Amino acid sequence: MRIYLCEDSFEGILTAVYDAWAGRLGHDNVRLELQGEYNLELFADYVVVLPDDEKAEKVVRTLRQKLSEEVFEYVYKAAMSQERRKADLIYRFIVLAIQRGARIVSEFGNPVVMDIFELVRNVSNESHLLLGFIRFQELENGVLFAKITPKNYVLTLIAPHFEDRLSGENWVIYDAVHEMAAVHARNTSWVLSREAKMPEKLPESGQEEEYEELWKIFFHTIGIEARKNPKCQRNMLPLWYRKNMLEFENNENC
Amino acid sequence: MAEKSWLFVIGKIRIYVRKTLAIRYIICYNKKNENIYSVIEMQIEQKMTIQEKLQILTDAAKYDAACTSSGVDRKGKAGSMGNAAACGICHTFASDGRCVSLLKILFTNECVFDCKYCINRASNDVKRAAFTPDEVCTLTMEFYRRNYIEGLFLSSGILKNPNYTMDLLYQTLYKLRTEYHFMGYIHVKAIPGADEELIRRTGFLADRMSVNLELPTGDGLRRLAPHKTRKTILKPMKQIQKGIVNSKNEMTVYQEAPRFVPAGQSTQMIIGATPESDYQIMSVAEALYKNYDLKRVFYSAYVSVNTDAMLPALPDGPPLLREHRLYQADWLLRYYGFEASELLSPDRPNFNVLLDPKCEWAVRHLEYFPVEINRADYQTLLRVPGIGVKSAQRIVRARRSAKLDFEDLKRLGVVLKRAVYFITCMGRMQYRIRLEENSITHNLIHDDRKKLYEMQENESFTQMSLFDDFHLTVPPSVEDGRAAVSGQL
Repeated sequence: MRIYLCEDSFEGILTAVYDAWAGRLGHDNVRLELQGEYNLELFADYVVVLPDDEKAEKVVRTLRQKLSEEVFEYVYKAAMSQERRKADLIYRFIVLAIQRGARIVSEFGNPVVMDIFELVRNVSNESHLLLGFIRFQELENGVLFAKITPKNYVLTLIAPHFEDRLSGENWVIYDAVHEMAAVHARNTSWVLSREAKMPEKLPESGQEEEYEELWKIFFHTIGIEARKNPKCQRNMLPLWYRKNMLEFENNENC
Repeated sequence: MAEKSWLFVIGKIRIYVRKTLAIRYIICYNKKNENIYSVIEMQIEQKMTIQEKLQILTDAAKYDAACTSSGVDRKGKAGSMGNAAACGICHTFASDGRCVSLLKILFTNECVFDCKYCINRASNDVKRAAFTPDEVCTLTMEFYRRNYIEGLFLSSGILKNPNYTMDLLYQTLYKLRTEYHFMGYIHVKAIPGADEELIRRTGFLADRMSVNLELPTGDGLRRLAPHKTRKTILKPMKQIQKGIVNSKNEMTVYQEAPRFVPAGQSTQMIIGATPESDYQIMSVAEALYKNYDLKRVFYSAYVSVNTDAMLPALPDGPPLLREHRLYQADWLLRYYGFEASELLSPDRPNFNVLLDPKCEWAVRHLEYFPVEINRADYQTLLRVPGIGVKSAQRIVRARRSAKLDFEDLKRLGVVLKRAVYFITCMGRMQYRIRLEENSITHNLIHDDRKKLYEMQENESFTQMSLFDDFHLTVPPSVEDGRAAVSGQL
């Protein structure tokens, strides 16, 4: 058994997929794992894979041209998952996809596809919800700043939405869990900054407090008292998401 | 300065004077047929903070059910702010569990109409306020760039007359689109009785327009909303429908043609204020979808805000379960290929409290079941309880490459709890089930009862009783058991 240890990034995983494939040891004799926590196994040799853009690019090209955009999207989203086993799941999926062709994405009965489908669903759900739940604060210098604490690596999935929507603004979305940030300067493309670390509190602009106050007034007024239903509210908006939403500060829930 | 209103009756003419912070009204109307003779208005200097206004005008707008931002995809443009996503995005959820997507406000809650069910009716003594167009624009822009909202939902009470009000809404939208360069979602109300040209011009600025039907029948309208008629409501609805069709035709000729109400129109009915049956309501909704191409019909459980001899008292709160059943049935009409006459009939005019409309239909039509998952066509699959649009699509896709079994169905998102009674996989049912109406109904209700109970009783309180265990969840410990046996209590 040869175990490929890859970096937890899209390029890192795809490089390992390339190496594992090119190793020609047979798919049953290789395994992919993320660097970091893993249990060392006897009778296995470990290979550390360094991310290589060229190899990753080759895999991407195969997925997009020989298979389909949809297959590529599945792989990309699965690679953004919080799941520790994702590298190996992606490898199995790609192996199967190359055998079966683009129709692989509708083979829901297949456990390999189902595993990927689960990851994709989890990542897509979280990134869709965050499109609405992100709250920007206007800083002293006019920059809009939002802090998020997602479970998955959703930053690259949500940034394009805000680039389109707020193209004339300078904004930063900071992922405090994975310490990454999407940075957008007015009328340019957004860039991803890895290993970013930002302070908890940044100086706000003069009018920021007024609008936060107005939003809270609106939020507390819009609910109908006679229809109060905290359980439904919690189903739709789990407590997990509320910690970065200003209308729920001090654990208010009404 | 407090708010005051006086009522004088001279002969058969009533004179109604209301003084608010902003405006003083003198409304003269005929006591008998409630025709308004004249409205005299005097401006009083306005001193109200934006916080107060927002509070009042949000409070006045919250009873409108519609708050979706869906139906239109629009890319952002350099030099302007905003885009629109067809799937709709919820930005938060209010304490009643409803999605908050748009900044839902009234332009003003001043109103010359006196609809019995409405909190803003002319004869109510509530605090009145009005925004200026610039205030609405600034609020929208500042909320939008902080990602609090997906866009604006602008409605209004009738200030002076329908035309005057519609013009104010138009001016606001015009400013927001051209001066503030807002490209996000806008839902605006068309005021019944307003000029066609004004509605037309507003429609080119908005994404969605709606005219509220208010009450399901013309009769109810006559009794509770004396200043509105079925005709004044349906006229703008027809106009908007035609406008949308024309605009689509123009788009095929000239791609850049301005789009008229691209996200379609919707409407709302109040449920439970008048005695209509579910069957009548569903038939009206069906007719609206067919004849007016509506995108959505919203049902709003009547919340008792006024006391009036004409209105029901509703001691148990708004009829939320009924509203829920109507929404379920509405979905069946729009996405599942059902017709209102299949779900209800004149001799069975209301939905079952215990069963959802689809299950109810299925147990009454057992002749169509069981359905074989690996062979049945899409439309047939859609009619099986526990199978939704998404899972039916997935079944059709997945069975091309492999035969599906019950385990696979679970993974595809089918709710087996309900579906098991109605399906076979490769000719086999999951359990030995007798296809018989009573036993299936019993099983379905048994599964559903707990959920139903929770919905009706938001906060459950029970009478204390001697035989209650007071919800002790910790089982007695071993020591307690021993002590009890040896009598050392």
